[in-house]
Amino acid sequence: MDGGDEDQTKKKSRPINSIISWTEIREEFSHHHPSVARLNNGSFGCCPASVLAAHRSFHLRFLRHPDAFNLHSLPFALLRSRTLLKHLIHADHLDEIALVDNATTAAALVLHHISQNANAAASFVVVVLHCAFQAVKKSLHAYVTRAGGSVFEIQLPFPVRSRREIIAEFRKGLKRAKSLNLNGGKIRLAIIDHITSMPSFLIPVRELVEICRKEGVEQVFVDAAHALGTVPVDVKEIGADFYVSNLHKWFFCPPSVAVLYSRRSKNAPLPIESSMWTGTKRDYSAQLLVPAVMEFVNRFEGGIEGIMKRNHENVVEMGKMLAESWGTNLGSPPDMCASMIMVGLPSRLLRTHLRECFGVEVPIYHHPATATATATATARDGNDGESRPPRPWDKEDGVITGYARISHQVYNTVDDYHKFRDAIYKLLQEGKVCKQNAFEFDPMS
Amino acid sequence: MATEGNKKIIAVCQSGGEFETNKDGTLSYRGGQAHALDIDDRVKFEDFKVEVAEMFSCYMNSMSVKYLLPGNKKTLITISNDKDLKRMVKFCGDSVTVDVYVVAEEIVALNVSDMLSARFSAACGVDHCLDHVDYSKPNLSCFITDTEIQSEFAHHDLGVARMNNGSFGCCPASVIRAARRWQLRFLRQPDHFYYHELQQGLLESRTVIKHLINAEDVDEITVVDNATTAVAIVLQHTAWAFSEGIYDKGDAVLMLHYAYGAVKKSIKAYVSRTGGHVIEVPFNFPVNSNDEIVSEFRKALGKGKANGRKVRLALIDHVTSMPSVVIPVKDLVKICREEGVEQVLVDAAHGVGCVDVDVQEIGADFCTSSLHKWFFCPPSVAFLHCRKKHLDLHHPIVSHEYGNGLPIESGWVGTRDYSPLLVVPSALDFINRFEGGIQGIKKRNHDNVVEIGKMLAEAWGTNLGCPPDMCASMIMVGLPAGLGIAREKDALKLKTHLRKNFGVEVPIYFKDPEDGEGEGESITGYARISHQVYNKIGDYHKYRDAVSQLVSDGFTCACLPD
Repeated sequence: MDGGDEDQTKKKSRPINSIISWTEIREEFSHHHPSVARLNNGSFGCCPASVLAAHRSFHLRFLRHPDAFNLHSLPFALLRSRTLLKHLIHADHLDEIALVDNATTAAALVLHHISQNANAAASFVVVVLHCAFQAVKKSLHAYVTRAGGSVFEIQLPFPVRSRREIIAEFRKGLKRAKSLNLNGGKIRLAIIDHITSMPSFLIPVRELVEICRKEGVEQVFVDAAHALGTVPVDVKEIGADFYVSNLHKWFFCPPSVAVLYSRRSKNAPLPIESSMWTGTKRDYSAQLLVPAVMEFVNRFEGGIEGIMKRNHENVVEMGKMLAESWGTNLGSPPDMCASMIMVGLPSRLLRTHLRECFGVEVPIYHHPATATATATATARDGNDGESRPPRPWDKEDGVITGYARISHQVYNTVDDYHKFRDAIYKLLQEGKVCKQNAFEFDPMS
Repeated sequence: MATEGNKKIIAVCQSGGEFETNKDGTLSYRGGQAHALDIDDRVKFEDFKVEVAEMFSCYMNSMSVKYLLPGNKKTLITISNDKDLKRMVKFCGDSVTVDVYVVAEEIVALNVSDMLSARFSAACGVDHCLDHVDYSKPNLSCFITDTEIQSEFAHHDLGVARMNNGSFGCCPASVIRAARRWQLRFLRQPDHFYYHELQQGLLESRTVIKHLINAEDVDEITVVDNATTAVAIVLQHTAWAFSEGIYDKGDAVLMLHYAYGAVKKSIKAYVSRTGGHVIEVPFNFPVNSNDEIVSEFRKALGKGKANGRKVRLALIDHVTSMPSVVIPVKDLVKICREEGVEQVLVDAAHGVGCVDVDVQEIGADFCTSSLHKWFFCPPSVAFLHCRKKHLDLHHPIVSHEYGNGLPIESGWVGTRDYSPLLVVPSALDFINRFEGGIQGIKKRNHDNVVEIGKMLAEAWGTNLGCPPDMCASMIMVGLPAGLGIAREKDALKLKTHLRKNFGVEVPIYFKDPEDGEGEGESITGYARISHQVYNKIGDYHKYRDAVSQLVSDGFTCACLPD
């Protein structure tokens, strides 16, 4: 079985005439709202009809005879999913792979575990990125701060210029955390995103984990919610102690399931099997779908790698197109993004308004207006520094304070992005702006 | 049935048809099935009923037996005891046959629906309007029929006699469809669903629950995955109190010895680890009366309070899992209050839909119940009820709504499938298609499971695990000692053997034989029988016969491979 699954993950292109067609892709996603330009795969992901069918099939098998299903079918189905994932993320041992509901659950598990095992007498320090996911930051408050630990946030610049910049800033931040000398300068845990959420860019996570080791950080947890299905994942190379990625964001599973990797170590293992929060009389169907997903992705040219490559190329192209149309810039260089990219917006605009009046679904990051933002607004528009034609709204607001995070997934077409581009044009022509206080807090990223 | 020498007659037993009144006022019976049974004037009514019940595969409890006197075809005479039966044989003297009619009794619809609608309208000023949830009395003329029930559960494996509703519950097709509609709404446009539909849907579920359990305010109701999560929420709070020195190390937390396995693990993980002292309350099984449980509970409380310590939390099951017994929670909570226990949590996992869960009556600080076991929701969904003063609790999974109060926090614990939590109103709609609504279902389940338990115990020559009033929709029935269930593993193997070879699904509890019971054979295995609306008497006959066959074949658990 092992060899077969490995083959399934490595399967490359099939003969041309059996590659999924555009009509078939549309059918697979025909349950999506037809008149919404869905540019936000990053938040809630998507699930093709054939995987949904497999989901229902498992669910019905369970309902038909739950005792028998749980005893005789479930363990094997879970094992298949876990084995495929182990190969996908290049883990060494099957017992390092656990399935949980989502990255938020994984964060709670890891932080609960850390706070339990921390020496009650000594205070402990946890380091996290300033742009970490909101839910993770709140988890830190609930589990770390409450238990007497300290949280130190490392600022990273945005817009992002280069990998080198990120590495340098992280190293500086970590040294500052150590210099505070809490817990004798030892850092109990570092939480690093693989792909940040808002604003979104790709972190050179292997290098950052290495820095953590060099600086004596005890354990590293990589929050890679967006990773599986957007970037190749090799947990051994990355070298973290814990690594979690959602499967319902970019890996075509229905909500919800995530893979949590815990490196074998001499430390006490994460008590996932006996997790006290989830119970066992639950619906495991979503966790059993990895084989069905592999079947789906292997209908595409190049399988999952092909999908990743095309999503990346398309989102970069669309990002540049939008930035050029609006006279703004991208939030990061193309090589520091995967299937999502940040595109500057000319002025503050409401997300709900875009959804309700224009049928465009896209999350918006509100970036504090800074001198840097102004300076870079004209620098990177893809025109190599040539002066670009002025836009009617230029004189009113030259500072980019909002970035749209656009995603690309297999169901997207160029029209979706044109719809967004034109919606913004219209809003600007109508002179619609947001008042200072009206910006909408956007937790769903 | 008739014995030699006695006055005999053939009873033509008819059922499933209808009476018609003829023009002259006499009654005629049309349709249905007929079976012949020879009886005499010595036959016991109980024996007669057992035979008839088996003939028509119906429950004795809901059966009524009548006949028409020769010469008076207008008045149906009811037979309710031995004397009546004797009289019938005597009155029908010279005939060879007598027509006997077996009629399903009308069950009186209890006034629960009225209660609910009264409470709802009283609270309407505070609650949101729930247009589609019908709290009014169910329409008496169109209750769900047997055929409809079978089609709602047509997805069940028909080759399996499914008598384990207690473990995984059941979900009718109409509720599954409702869940799928919610799932599709999310998949169609997830952002819109998150921002505009999810919270309102959860509020509707919480409002239904509030009415069901007679809570004061919908703010007291939190929906979660299952009772295990709910218990963890409370225990986490207890653990923090120990860690932060609010509770002294060595203060006690009480739980029943027969508390659910996962809950016991939780208690050890949260409480023992942070310095709390865990005390288990044992009681004998088989249990004979509530008093046995109450006196053990008092003893344990005494232990907890010894040396000036305090009992910080008592965790009491409403219905234990294995072995299954209904615990006198109201009495125990009262004792807790008298003895100064700080907080009481009632774990009513087998609660709503199985026993009456009225939080005002029970009087605990916290109460949790599953809704996928006995309330027809899909797996898995449960709720935690917290009295207003205890609202400083948190869900273990921390997300964006952290700090906004437990009910709101639990409304978003990351991206997941919330559909089981959203179909509670649909489950209520399903239940209200039954006569008497949830009360009617509970009563019938209870009456039937008691009748079945007695039938099995008698057939096997064993006993029940508790008196009938200490069980709800499940009952423990002793398995014949000859099966040789010598250890826990045997119970599991036997369960699997029965599933694979006889198509019966029943969990088996292994009871360690007590010391000093060396003579003779003691009962070491108890089957936990459940009854739910989809069950038929045939299921239980199948089980009875399977076990009887094993015994007569000389089977023992020692024969089974490891």
